[in-house]
Amino acid sequence: MKEWHKQFDWLLLFCWGALAIIGLVAIYSATQGPVSEFLPSYIQNNFSNQVIWIFISALAIILLQFTAPRSFIQISVLFYIACLILGIMTVFWGTESGGATRWLVIGGLRIQISEFMKLATILVVAQYLTSRRDISAEKVGPALTSVLLMIIPASIVLLQNDTGTALVMLSLIPVMLFWSGLPYGISLFIVSPAVVGYFAILNWQLGIIVAILLTIGVFLIQRRPSLTLVTFVVGMLIVIGVQVALYQILQPYQQARIEAFINPSLDPEGAGWNVMQAKTAIGSGGIFGKGFLEGTQTQLRFLPEQWTDFIFPVIAEEFGFIGAGLVLILFGMLLLRLLYNAGEHKHPFAQLVMVGITGILFMHVLINIGSATGLLPVIGLPLPFVSYGGSSFLANSIMIGICLNLRLHQRSFSTF
Amino acid sequence: MSNLSVNNRVQTSIKVLQFIVVAVLLVIMGRMFQLQILDYEKYGPLSQQNTILRESVSPARGLILDRHGQLIVNNEPTYTITITPSNFRRENIPLLSRLMGKSEEEIQNQLLRAQNYSWHRPSRMFTEVDFETFSAIQENLWRLPGIGHQVDSRRNYPSEVRASHLLGYLREVTEQEYERSGRYRLGDRAGRIGIERVYEEYLRGELGTSYQRVNALGQMVGMYDDGRHDVNPTKGADIYTTIDKNLQALAEELMKGKIGGLVAMDPNDGSILSLVSAPQFEIEKLSGKIDREYWHSVNVDSTRPMFNRAISTQQPPGSTIKPMMGIVGQELELIDPDHTVYCDGAFVRGRRYHCLTDHGNQNLEQAITNSCNTYFFSLMNDIINEVDLNTWSRLTSDLGFGNRTGIDLPYETTGILPDSSYYDRIFGVNRWGPGDLINLGIGQGSFSVSPIQMAAFTSMLATGGTLHKPRLVDRLVFPDNTYIEPERSSQTVDWLNISHLESVRKGMVGATTEGSGRYYLEHMQGFDAAGKTGTSQNPHGLNHGWFITYAPIEEPEIAIAVLLENSGFGSVSAAPIAALLMEYYFNGETTQWIKDHVLNFEPTSRPEEEEEEVIEEIIQ
Repeated sequence: MKEWHKQFDWLLLFCWGALAIIGLVAIYSATQGPVSEFLPSYIQNNFSNQVIWIFISALAIILLQFTAPRSFIQISVLFYIACLILGIMTVFWGTESGGATRWLVIGGLRIQISEFMKLATILVVAQYLTSRRDISAEKVGPALTSVLLMIIPASIVLLQNDTGTALVMLSLIPVMLFWSGLPYGISLFIVSPAVVGYFAILNWQLGIIVAILLTIGVFLIQRRPSLTLVTFVVGMLIVIGVQVALYQILQPYQQARIEAFINPSLDPEGAGWNVMQAKTAIGSGGIFGKGFLEGTQTQLRFLPEQWTDFIFPVIAEEFGFIGAGLVLILFGMLLLRLLYNAGEHKHPFAQLVMVGITGILFMHVLINIGSATGLLPVIGLPLPFVSYGGSSFLANSIMIGICLNLRLHQRSFSTF
Repeated sequence: MSNLSVNNRVQTSIKVLQFIVVAVLLVIMGRMFQLQILDYEKYGPLSQQNTILRESVSPARGLILDRHGQLIVNNEPTYTITITPSNFRRENIPLLSRLMGKSEEEIQNQLLRAQNYSWHRPSRMFTEVDFETFSAIQENLWRLPGIGHQVDSRRNYPSEVRASHLLGYLREVTEQEYERSGRYRLGDRAGRIGIERVYEEYLRGELGTSYQRVNALGQMVGMYDDGRHDVNPTKGADIYTTIDKNLQALAEELMKGKIGGLVAMDPNDGSILSLVSAPQFEIEKLSGKIDREYWHSVNVDSTRPMFNRAISTQQPPGSTIKPMMGIVGQELELIDPDHTVYCDGAFVRGRRYHCLTDHGNQNLEQAITNSCNTYFFSLMNDIINEVDLNTWSRLTSDLGFGNRTGIDLPYETTGILPDSSYYDRIFGVNRWGPGDLINLGIGQGSFSVSPIQMAAFTSMLATGGTLHKPRLVDRLVFPDNTYIEPERSSQTVDWLNISHLESVRKGMVGATTEGSGRYYLEHMQGFDAAGKTGTSQNPHGLNHGWFITYAPIEEPEIAIAVLLENSGFGSVSAAPIAALLMEYYFNGETTQWIKDHVLNFEPTSRPEEEEEEVIEEIIQ
C-alpha cells in the first residue's frame, strides 16, 4: 500500500470534516451564544461534548482504515444481533427524552443504540444478499428475508417511540432491494405508497393524480398489467387510508402535527409554533444571514431543539442562503460521491453497503431539512455530522469510515 | 444474469439514485430560495415582531397646587413586589415570608396565582408594600431569583388640606371607558370626582412607549436598538387652583363633625377660595389600592360622606333669601327704600304667617337687619297679587337661582326655583294658591338652593350686579411651562339697578352690627362685613342654619355662604364659621373662644322664638 494516499477518498473526508466544522459553529451559536442565558448548563455543555465526540469519531475513522474489508462481512451478523439485544434492552430500561425512549446508559455512557442499528442492518442485509450467487432480490424468498431483516430492527426502534429512525430504516427496504436486482417497476411500486401518502396528506386530489402518474410509470417500466393494477389499487387505498387516518385513527397530537404541517399559521401558538419559528428563522436570514451569534430567532430561544433537530434554521438564519446552500452542496457532494464510489466498486457487498449508507444519510438530510423548511411534517431526526449528538455523530462517522475503507482497499477486496 | 448486464444494471441504478439525490436537493434548494429570497420581505419583519415588545410607560400625573403655588396633591412612589415563577425557587419561600412579614401560605397562594397567569412573565405579588419591606427585599434580591419589583405611584396629600370633594380620587377605568377612549390601558386609574375628574385629560399626561427585546419565553433581555425608538412619557399638567390652602385647611377644621357645605369665593372674579362639604370622606384611603371595607362603610354611612353638599345639596335658603327679595321687590316697583310695613308679629292673609316678634314699622333696610318676616310676607303677597309668580321666578332666575352656577365640578344641582308649571306639576292645575306662595318670601316652601348658588349670589350683591361663574382652576401649566387658563365667564344682570342694592347692603351691614349676625363679628377687629343669617325649617328634623356674608363692605374681597344641616339657628351655627374664616383671611389669626365654640358646637332643638335666649346662653 505505497500509493495509499492516491487511493484514499480525500473528497469524502473533506465533506465529512467540513460538515462537522459547520456543525460545531452552529452548535456553538445555538448553545454558547447570547442564548446560553436561557439554557440549562447541561445543554451549554453540548459544544464541548461535540468536540470530544468529533475527536473520538476521527480516531475511529483512522482506525477503520487499518481493518480488512472482509472483517465487516465477518462481524455483521454478530453486530446485528448485539444491536437487536441492546435495542430491546433500550425499550425496557432506556432513558426517556421528549417522549421517546432512546438512550441506554452503559457504564455512565448514554448510547443511542438505534444509531448503530442502522449500520448493523445495512451490513447484515448486504452480507445476506451477497453471500451466495443464488440469493438475489429478484427472487421472492431472499427478498422477503431481506425485508424481514430490516423490519425487525425498525420495529424495535418504533417500540422506543423513535418514529423518525424507524422511518429511515424502512426506507432502506426499497434502496437495498432495488440495488440487489429488484426490477425497477417493482421498486417503483414499493416506493409509491410513501410518495402517494405524502401528496395525499397535502391534498387528496393531488394524491390521486400522483397515484395515477406512478401507475403509468410502473406500467411503462415493467409492462405487467397485474403489477400496474396493484400499483393503482394500492395508491387509491393509500389516498383513502390517509384521509381515514387523518380524521379517525391518529392521536390528537399526531393530527395536530399533520395539521400544523399543512397549515402552520392556523395554530401559530400551538403545534404550528415550531414550524412557524423555523420558517421565520430561515426566511429572515435572507441571502447573507444575520451574522454569527446575531440570529434573533436562535439567540432569543424561538427555535426548539436548535442544537439537534432544528440546527439547520440556525445556519440559515445566521449565514443566510449562502450558508444553507453551502451545507446542501456539501451534502450533495458527499452523497453523489458515495454513489459514484459504489458504482466504481467491483464487490457487490461493498456496493450494497455504500448504497445503503447513502440511503440512510440521504433520508436523514431529507427529513431533517424537510421538517425545518415545512416541506414535511415535523419528524425529529438529527442532521448528519451537523446536529449535536455523540451516538449519531459516531455512528455516521463509522459509516463514512467504512465507505473510506472499502474504497481504499478496493483492489485487495476482490470478488470471491 | 451475465457480468455485463450486471454492470449495466449497476450503472443505470447509480444514475437513477444520483438523479433522485440531485432532484431532492434541488427541491430543497428551491425551497430555501423561496423562503430566504422570495419571502424575505415577509419573514424579516416577522422575526423582528417576534422579539420586540412594545410597552406603554405611564406618565407622572400633574400636581395640584393652591393659588399661592403651595402643594396640595403630589405623587408618591409605591412599591410592588413581583414574582416570575419559572425563576423562583420554592426553597426560598421561608426567607421571602420572613422578609415580607407574610405567612408562607400566603406566599404559596400568590405563587400559585402567578403561575396561573404566566410562568415566564412577572406577576404582581404584593402591591403597596412599605418602604422598609421593600428595602429588605432589595438587599436580599441576589438570594431571591425570580423576585423583582416595580415602582408605581399614587396620590399623596402633603398639606393638611384634604378637600376630598373638591380634589376627587382615582379609580381604575372601567372596561367601557377603556374601550371607548383608547387612551387608557386596563388597570389605569382615572379621576372619578372633583378636579381629578374634570381635568383628567390634562392631569393625565401622555403615555410613553418603550421597545424591549424579549425572548421566546417573554423574558425581557434589554432595550431595543438602545432605546432609540422609545418615546418618553409626557408628565401631566400641573393645576394651579384658586384655593387658598390655609383658608381651606381652617374651613375643613371648622366643618369637622358637622353636616353641610361651605363656599368662600373672591366676589370680584368668582375664584373659589375654599370649598368644603362635611362630612368628608378620607381621601387618602382611596388614593391607592382600594380599602374595600372603607369603601363599603363610606357608601352605607347615613351622613353620605361622598355627597358634595357644597354644590349638590338643595335646601330652603330661609332668611338668607331676604336680600334677594329686596332687590326683586324694588325692580318690580312694589317697594322702595322708604316703603314701610307695620309688623305686629305676624302677617295675616287667610291665616297668620308668624314673625319672630312685633318689629313695628319696618323699611327694607330695617327688615333685613331685623330679619322681619312680616315685611317679606307682605312683599311676596304683593308680587303674587299685583305682578305674578312667574315674573318673580324669572327675575330670581336671573339672579342665579334655579340654574347651575357652572362651577368646574361634576354633579352640581340646579336647586328648585318654583314657577306656576312647577306647582301645576306638584299640586295639580288650580290645586294651589297664594297660601302656598307667601312662604317663598322668607325662603321657605318649595324654594331650594345650594351653598354655591348662595355664594355666587352674595358675590354678585357685594360687587354690584355681575354673576361670575365660580371656578376652581386658575391655570394649567404644562411641562414645557406653557399654560392655559380656563375660560372665565360672567353674566351681568342687565335689569339690575345698582341703586337698588344700597338699602339691601345697608340692611346686611346692620345684620352684622345689630342684627342676628352680630354675635361673633362684633368681637372681631380689622374688617367690616355685611351678612345675613337664615334658619330654614326642616320638617324631617332640626332646622338648617345658613349664613351668607361678604367683607370688607366697601371693596369686598371675600364672599362666603355656609349651610349647616340640622344645626338650628344660623346665627350661632353657620355664622361663627364664616366669621372665623373672614377673621383669618384678613387678620391671619382667629379668636380662640369662637373657634372653641365652633369646634364644640352642639345643635339645639329650641323653637325659633327662643333664639335670643339661646344666644344669650352661648355668648355668656
